[in-house]
Amino acid sequence: MSRVQGLIARLRAVLRPSDAEGRMEEEFSFHLEMEQARLVREGLPPEIARRQAQLTFGGLDAHRETMRDERGARWLDDLGADLRYALRAMRRSPGYALAVALTLGVGIGVNGIVVGYVNALLFRPIPARAPEQLVALFQRDTRTGRIGEIGYEDYLDYRERSGAFAGLAGMSGVPLNVAIPGASGSLAGDMVWGEMVTENYFTVLGMAPAAGRFFQGADAHQGANPFVVVSYDCWRRRFQADRNIVGRVVRLNGTEFTITGVAPRGFRGLRMFGFWPEMWVPIGMHAVIEPGSAGKLEGRGGGDLMVFGRMKPGADRAKTRAAAEVFARQLAGSYPATNADLTAMLVPAGVGFDHPAYVKPSVLVLSSALGLFGSLVILAIICANLANLQLARAAARARETAIRLSLGCSRARLIRQLLVESSVLALPGCAIALALLQANRVTERYLVPKLQFEVGLATSTDARVLLFTVVVAVLAVGLFGLVPALRASRVNVVPLAASAETAWWSGGRPTRLRRSLVVTQLALSVVLLVGGMLFVRSLVAARAMDLGFDARDRALVSFNVGLQGYDERRGQAFYDAVLARVRALPGIAAAGLARPVPFDSYGQTTAWYIGDLANSRDGTARINTSVTSDGFIAALGLRLADGRDFTPGDSANAPLVMIVGRSVATRLWPGRIPLGQQVRYAGAEGPQVTVVGVVDDAKFAVIGDAPGGHLYLPVRQHYRDWQTLVVHTRGDPAAMLLRLEGVLASLDPALPAFGKTTLEEAVANGLSTSRTAATIAGFFGVLALLIASVGLYALVAGAVAERTREIGVRLALGCTPVGVLRLMMGEGARLGVIGLGIGLVGAFGVARAMGGLLYGLSPSDPVTFVLVPLTLGVVVLFATYVPARRAVRLDPVAALRSE
Amino acid sequence: MPRSAKPDALRGSIDLLILTALSLGSAHGWGIGLRIQELSRGRLDANQGSLYPALQRLEHRGDIESEWQSTENNRQARYYTITRQGRRALGEEVDRWKRFAAAISLVLEHGS
Repeated sequence: MSRVQGLIARLRAVLRPSDAEGRMEEEFSFHLEMEQARLVREGLPPEIARRQAQLTFGGLDAHRETMRDERGARWLDDLGADLRYALRAMRRSPGYALAVALTLGVGIGVNGIVVGYVNALLFRPIPARAPEQLVALFQRDTRTGRIGEIGYEDYLDYRERSGAFAGLAGMSGVPLNVAIPGASGSLAGDMVWGEMVTENYFTVLGMAPAAGRFFQGADAHQGANPFVVVSYDCWRRRFQADRNIVGRVVRLNGTEFTITGVAPRGFRGLRMFGFWPEMWVPIGMHAVIEPGSAGKLEGRGGGDLMVFGRMKPGADRAKTRAAAEVFARQLAGSYPATNADLTAMLVPAGVGFDHPAYVKPSVLVLSSALGLFGSLVILAIICANLANLQLARAAARARETAIRLSLGCSRARLIRQLLVESSVLALPGCAIALALLQANRVTERYLVPKLQFEVGLATSTDARVLLFTVVVAVLAVGLFGLVPALRASRVNVVPLAASAETAWWSGGRPTRLRRSLVVTQLALSVVLLVGGMLFVRSLVAARAMDLGFDARDRALVSFNVGLQGYDERRGQAFYDAVLARVRALPGIAAAGLARPVPFDSYGQTTAWYIGDLANSRDGTARINTSVTSDGFIAALGLRLADGRDFTPGDSANAPLVMIVGRSVATRLWPGRIPLGQQVRYAGAEGPQVTVVGVVDDAKFAVIGDAPGGHLYLPVRQHYRDWQTLVVHTRGDPAAMLLRLEGVLASLDPALPAFGKTTLEEAVANGLSTSRTAATIAGFFGVLALLIASVGLYALVAGAVAERTREIGVRLALGCTPVGVLRLMMGEGARLGVIGLGIGLVGAFGVARAMGGLLYGLSPSDPVTFVLVPLTLGVVVLFATYVPARRAVRLDPVAALRSE
Repeated sequence: MPRSAKPDALRGSIDLLILTALSLGSAHGWGIGLRIQELSRGRLDANQGSLYPALQRLEHRGDIESEWQSTENNRQARYYTITRQGRRALGEEVDRWKRFAAAISLVLEHGS
């Protein structure tokens, strides 16, 4: 009980120090009064009694201090003093404080972002129950090594008979035309990616729905289960987070489905690098979702079902794989025609599943490790620089330190003060880092290209990332605060008190290390800045580049009539109707259909049999192909060099025709007139197609594309159910989009229009890779430059502090300020020149290597190679001049007296 | 006048002395000093100011507690009281001190 009271007394004393102080003073004065009174009673005169009482009591201050120490108040007092001192120091040199805050902030922030990505890639588990028990099941062909997905019948056997898994589910991606009755705007109808899943999909994952329920066992029955589960994001975005969503009806590919539930928040399907499915429907509904996909619920020896399962309790991966392999051999025995060479292959879940042939986990781990390593190196360099900076300041204050030490200030006390100082400097840095982390979502949106469906890495600053960042920050503060603190306090008191500038902190080795560090940083920043600059200039050049078509005033809208259940006859009729209506709109210069259009997310090639083709073993060539309507060439602004465009007469019954790009013509028929040339479609026995037109080459995929060539087929002869409407307007193309949608809706209100954009936007999107590269290179270049500048600054500042006395002597002997400046800047400038030189050599090499990625720009672009070194030169001069200026301002007398 | 013991010699035993003084009844700081002086028949002069840090320490430890009370001549003073834990600590401390003193005396007897 009394122990508790004691604790309360102590707490009260710490929490309310003024209380404790007051009581202490009162107690002291009471004591003195009593003692004085006693002495007076013994016969002393009051004045003498008073002095006598004070004498026996002892030094008041000493007693106060002991009591404060005892209750821990002293510690707080000192901390406050340290803080005030640190803040004062910061105010005195705001430039220094800013440099520290920026470098540290950016360093830690970059680390956090990289860790965020790595976390998303490697460590954030699927929001499923015990995700470490989940494995994907693939089949590997032991003869060819090909890894494939699984046929439905094999899947059922694995699930029911193998006994290898506690549960096994399957999924298959599918495009969905979604129409939401009652919803308004462009969200009403849209094409989204969804998945057809086995009814136990969510059960195997062990998830709880955010609303409603998931599928049930009865949903395994084929055809009778028009149910759909929507993702959390979909529920929020398309249904405005409707609380009564369960039971609502949506049309998917023309058929009504009832919403039974909402998937948990944050669940974006199981594909790591694939699309994020918005909806899940039972695979038994495949006949209406994907008409014509008859084989969905049958098939062995491979298929398109992505299968994953939960391992049995107590089983590990080796055991499960062994069981699955045994069962694969059984299947091979039972069905030798299809399964003879197939064996089972397991892929651990990680943060999701991907086809192992597309993504090698080791590559992922390696690139993540490299990213982490890189960012840690950056942080380490930053810390080293900051530590140097602090050292330089500590050197400048060596005399003060020495005096404090000799006056009896404890080493711990001194270390603490230096630590407080660096923490105060680090705090704004940490704040900047946290702000940067918040920008992480923005960077992702910027870095991941916009496609016609939603993809991404879903990085986020979760607790793990925050924890890591905090740990890194603490380590950074420790590194750049503690190391100089320890060194400073190890100072030999006697000689330093006598001379303030013994070279105690500049041993030969660390200095050399620091010099090479600065040179490395500078060289690195040259390389990165040159790279970034080249990318930026190439982007500018790309915008001015001839695309072969005209991107201005073009509007694009896509639709997929196949998903609405149209057959070819209805589809062709729909295309005719769309074109007729659109062309009748006012302000339309031309309209046509095509797939793919330039800078589409999808591409497509066809094989052509030419016969006497050079450089081809079987006489065929694979050429990028668009299937188009008549009028497309005019709508896109392609230049017809020879021959004619398609006409409505190029129908299924008419002779097969094609239009080729110029480079296709030169490649296939060098030196001959392409018009009238004939090739065969799909092999030597295929139907014959005649060239009726030649157009100028156009860029379809990448702006930097060497013209590989493109050819065009009429959609009337080669039906495709997925088309993009291209319109050349005389007005604002973005405004035209709404009217185009209106036309489509008037023809089929249930048909979703998607991929609405202007051609200029689509082209800009196609440049996103270079834009990303330019951003990253530029960002890291500026970062490296910043770090290098701080390094140079620290170096010169250190030299100035170290040579204070020498400078004093020089000034006293009549050396001019300019001379001193030159002396102090010489070292920094020399390092700067070396760093620039090395960097330029490296930059030339790197620029040559990335020459293929540059558009309309020589890798040794003179503007870049003049501008970058010039800018860097200025920065180097500035970084050396600012600290060196201090030397000039030294008062020679004071500098000499510092001895 | 008998020589007072040096304050330094008191440092280790000041807690013991305070607890002993308080075991006779509550007292304020000055009273405790006085009581120690009286109990030692004037031989120990508990260096008066250094009494207070020790009092604070003992209170934080929970061996004593304090309360503001009025003195006879109506003056506010802080009165210290020994707690049950303090009495226990005192008992242990006295035992230890006696064993120590006995050991020292033994050594001194054989040495002289």
